[in-house]
Amino acid sequence: MRQNKAASLLTAGILTVLAAVSFFPIYLALINSFKSQGDMFRSFVSLPTSISFGNYAEAFDKINLLGSTVNSVIISALGIGGIVLSASLAGYKLSRTTGKLSQVIFFLFIASMLVPFHSIMIPLTRMAKSLSVQGSTYGLAIIYIGLGVNMAIFLYHGFVKSIPRELEEAAYMDGCNEYQTFFRIIFPLLVPITVTIAILDFLWIWNDFLLPLLMLTDSESFTLILSTNTLFGEYNKDWSLILAALVLTAIPVILIYSFFQRFIMHGIAEGAVKG
Amino acid sequence: MPVNSYKKYISLLAFVAPAFILYAVFLLIPTLGGMFYSFTDWNGLNRTYEFIGFGNFAEALIEDPDFIHSLLFTLKYVLFMIVLQNVFALGLAVFIETRSRSKGFFRTIFFMPNMISTIISAFMWTFVFAQVLPQLAEKTALTFLDQSWIGDPNVSFFSILIVSLWNGVGYMMIIYLAGLQGVPQSLKEAALIDGATPFQTFLNVTLPMITHAITICFFLTLNGAFKVFEVVYGLTGGGPGRSTQVITMNIYEEAFSNNFRYGYASAKSVILFVIILIFTFIQIQVMKKREVEA
Repeated sequence: MRQNKAASLLTAGILTVLAAVSFFPIYLALINSFKSQGDMFRSFVSLPTSISFGNYAEAFDKINLLGSTVNSVIISALGIGGIVLSASLAGYKLSRTTGKLSQVIFFLFIASMLVPFHSIMIPLTRMAKSLSVQGSTYGLAIIYIGLGVNMAIFLYHGFVKSIPRELEEAAYMDGCNEYQTFFRIIFPLLVPITVTIAILDFLWIWNDFLLPLLMLTDSESFTLILSTNTLFGEYNKDWSLILAALVLTAIPVILIYSFFQRFIMHGIAEGAVKG
Repeated sequence: MPVNSYKKYISLLAFVAPAFILYAVFLLIPTLGGMFYSFTDWNGLNRTYEFIGFGNFAEALIEDPDFIHSLLFTLKYVLFMIVLQNVFALGLAVFIETRSRSKGFFRTIFFMPNMISTIISAFMWTFVFAQVLPQLAEKTALTFLDQSWIGDPNVSFFSILIVSLWNGVGYMMIIYLAGLQGVPQSLKEAALIDGATPFQTFLNVTLPMITHAITICFFLTLNGAFKVFEVVYGLTGGGPGRSTQVITMNIYEEAFSNNFRYGYASAKSVILFVIILIFTFIQIQVMKKREVEA
């Protein structure tokens, strides 16, 4: 019994130390973002002597916070919406249809999940340029749909198998056509897996860096991550300004995390197990 | 019933078309296009190009010391990541699982870095490595903190690892936690009653029961680690020189900021793809055999 108590204390101790180490960079970014340059170089680890929001006001302006956030929101919302809609239609139908064609199409989607983004970024950039979707937030959202449907179809395909066919048959009897059956009967039943897909895709699109870097050229259409990257390149000695920008960039995801933590963790576990 | 099967065919296409068209345009065609161009000397500017067979591949693997270096550097990184990321994630998951009241708190803290974009994490850590640690070393007696964390490639390899782990461990931890919850309490208790130590129970009961989660986490880590870009981009930019350049960065440089040799860069992309395929295939083959059903 005493041994158990000691072991329990030990794990608590180890976890606490690791948690402190893990939180340390966030703590540093947070406290130093409120300091003046001089205050900061006296000591990075101590709390600020006076709290100033000057860094934030400047960063707010420099990364065009409102505009960039709106861009990120548009890209994520359109991307996720498009993925959910088109992939649920396709995943449902592929799961319900037997035959060679359906199998081949499904295989093409699944096989492409192994293709690393870096292997397609050159032809993709050319393709985007020739279709003139390069440089626009809407164009970027469409590309995200094209890149994201494979995993979503895979997850929908598996989930649909657990829905009894009798439901659709009953709907047909009642005179629904295929689309009505899908949107009224099937789609509402797909909500659990849709939440998982939406979360995984949100984390991917919102935090993505390389694709927006390749696609967006005009700073007016930059995402939040991209604006912060530009600021980092331009003011790389002005740490109090950069830290304020980093905190501003991290706030939306931390907020979403605190509200949807349960869903996010469930979504990750679910998405991984099904994969 | 030919009419019926014709209708079935049309309806299948109608449901699949929206997803398939976008997928074909932005993923399938670029994938095939990249493979096609890897056998040409296309430079991205000229309209014309010629087939040069495996010339690009030979050049990349034999005559391009920068690419070979980036390949080896990435392999080393992948190896460290697979071991460390999984050891840390599983360790944290096991420890957290034993807590009753503080479980949620620790889970929240350890997962939080994963929510922050990799590139933002890299910037945050640049501040820690370049400013905070040297100052801490100066003010306290912790002189080992005074390293050239970003300037010296031997040290910055570990800086890159630290940031990657900080950012990625939480994700794997969640998967391991879900796996651990699937292990029946009765089995663990039975082992303990039979006189097994907690460590033996973990090794012989828990571990075999979560092999599925281990397979997934190894797969995800392997895949992610080969594609590492943002951490290195944000932390060292591949420097000093090209000493910390990873494969993806070498491809990026070749295609977008160097001499626009698209055909050559495509060949490098194909090499990356093939390497990932081979490693993934081996890993899945080896680990699938070990999985047991609950």
